[in-house]
Amino acid sequence: MSCKNTEDCQESCFQWDVLAEMKSIAKRCLAAVRRNKKLQYTLLLLPSMIYLTVFFMAPFFLTTLYSFDMVTRLKQIVFTPSLEYYLKAFGMKGLFPIFLRSIGYGLATTLLCVVLGYPVAYYIALKCKYKDGVLLLFMIPLWISFLLRTYALKALLAENGLLNGILLGLGILAEPLEIIRTPTAVLIGMAYNYLLFMVLPLYANLEKLDVSLLEAAATLGAGKVSTFLRVIVPLSLPGIVAGSLLVFIPATGEFIIPDLLGGPESYMIGNLIWDNFLYTRLWGLGSAISLLFIIFILAIILVYLKYAGIKEVVF
Amino acid sequence: MKIFDKALKSYAFIILIVMYLPIIAMIAFSFNSAKSVGRFAGFSLRWYSQLLQNEDVWTAFYNSFTSAAVVTIISVVLALLMANALVRYKYRGGSLIDTFIYIPIVIPEITESLALLIMLYFIGMPRGFWSVVLGHATFGATFAAVVLRARIAGFRKSVEEAARTLGADEIQTFFRVTLPILMPGVIAAALLAFTLSFDDFIKTRFTTGPGFQTIPLIVYSSAARGGVSPELNALSTFSFGISILFSAVRLFTLRRGRYE
Repeated sequence: MSCKNTEDCQESCFQWDVLAEMKSIAKRCLAAVRRNKKLQYTLLLLPSMIYLTVFFMAPFFLTTLYSFDMVTRLKQIVFTPSLEYYLKAFGMKGLFPIFLRSIGYGLATTLLCVVLGYPVAYYIALKCKYKDGVLLLFMIPLWISFLLRTYALKALLAENGLLNGILLGLGILAEPLEIIRTPTAVLIGMAYNYLLFMVLPLYANLEKLDVSLLEAAATLGAGKVSTFLRVIVPLSLPGIVAGSLLVFIPATGEFIIPDLLGGPESYMIGNLIWDNFLYTRLWGLGSAISLLFIIFILAIILVYLKYAGIKEVVF
Repeated sequence: MKIFDKALKSYAFIILIVMYLPIIAMIAFSFNSAKSVGRFAGFSLRWYSQLLQNEDVWTAFYNSFTSAAVVTIISVVLALLMANALVRYKYRGGSLIDTFIYIPIVIPEITESLALLIMLYFIGMPRGFWSVVLGHATFGATFAAVVLRARIAGFRKSVEEAARTLGADEIQTFFRVTLPILMPGVIAAALLAFTLSFDDFIKTRFTTGPGFQTIPLIVYSSAARGGVSPELNALSTFSFGISILFSAVRLFTLRRGRYE
């Protein structure tokens, strides 16, 4: 270090001292961390755990408090839980049918995706020569957001859309088809958006299928159909279960598809939460409905997993 | 059974066409010279030039881009620390934390968003840029952690030990050995977090405030109000282009990383 005069030199020497001090403190801390493995683990996990607690767990905790009417208008927490909002939620006109309808759409979508998606997954996993390329072609549509895919479908099916344009132009129809704002449109939208969520886990499962089992079945006299039904399908059950969950949960809580493609007959729980609580700020009732919905979905999943007899689901 | 195989192949092919048809139609009609999404009148860029002159679209693009960038930084830092802890150290409770990080992925987004809105209201935090960013980073960090975990699990610890034996300290080892090896995973996680945030609609709608518009919010409100139009097709195509670009780069990085 070159100094032009003594004052400058003192200044820089002082800084040097502080730096050295800090460095030694850092070194000692580092040594402590180096020795203690558990401390390292905790320090690594701490930031994300704090983050998820504050921005994910705390909101749900508050939601629970609001749903039991434990937060006053002045935002004070009181310990007098009441079931008022839950009773209101059960008594709310049309809530139960909306729940049932959402579950119905969720189940119908799951079923449609299994039926439509199984042959596709089977083809890619077992019969396709260019597996990687074909798989990539099936994955690209997933890169586009739900909103854009649903909008694109709406543009295709709309009264003034391409489908009607072609059908009218060819003279097949005299009047435009009115698909938009019907439950059919919602189901088409659901199947279109969720099909690949079923195909990909099914593919991952079928790809691991031991081909020698098929040969064994054939040697033992099973025909192609019975091999499929009694060997392939049972073995691919974990794939079906994983795919069903990936489809059922978001489909039941869907908001964008019924909103953009459906009409009043396809009003779902997502629409209810959206319309009533984004704008009106009825936090108590909104929280109760939202929590009931989560419990409902979790219960269905647990029953389903138990019924399917599978302990571990690999996503 | 040859016929059966052929039928299967044709079926898969038809499904593939159905998957792409709406998207291709959307792109095609964004170049339509007439104001129709059903009949193609001729090629024109008029809807794109209209978009370029739209002040709101520019602001929304700026908002989407900057918020997604901040979300990406937060997500990757959190995920890098978390994934390292979960893969390299095995302690009791680790599997519990494992399940914990998957919860934000499994729970329906709309309930999570409502809960966050209630909290923002409760603590009186103004809604806008930061509320959107903090909301997005929960799913950003969890998805990034899933990507990074897979990457770190395939990491050979012996390389780090070799670096330490050759005299590098922890920090040098991390920045000059560990991070470069994990880089494809880090880039992939960052691109995933960015795309998820850039495309997100539901959580954004719940956490945004007056004056903070993003591209998906504009797409939704015009699609819900005015229905379909070639101008909206153009905006969607633009947004679609960004998702595709980022996802393609992500795939490419992961593939290349695998062969190295």
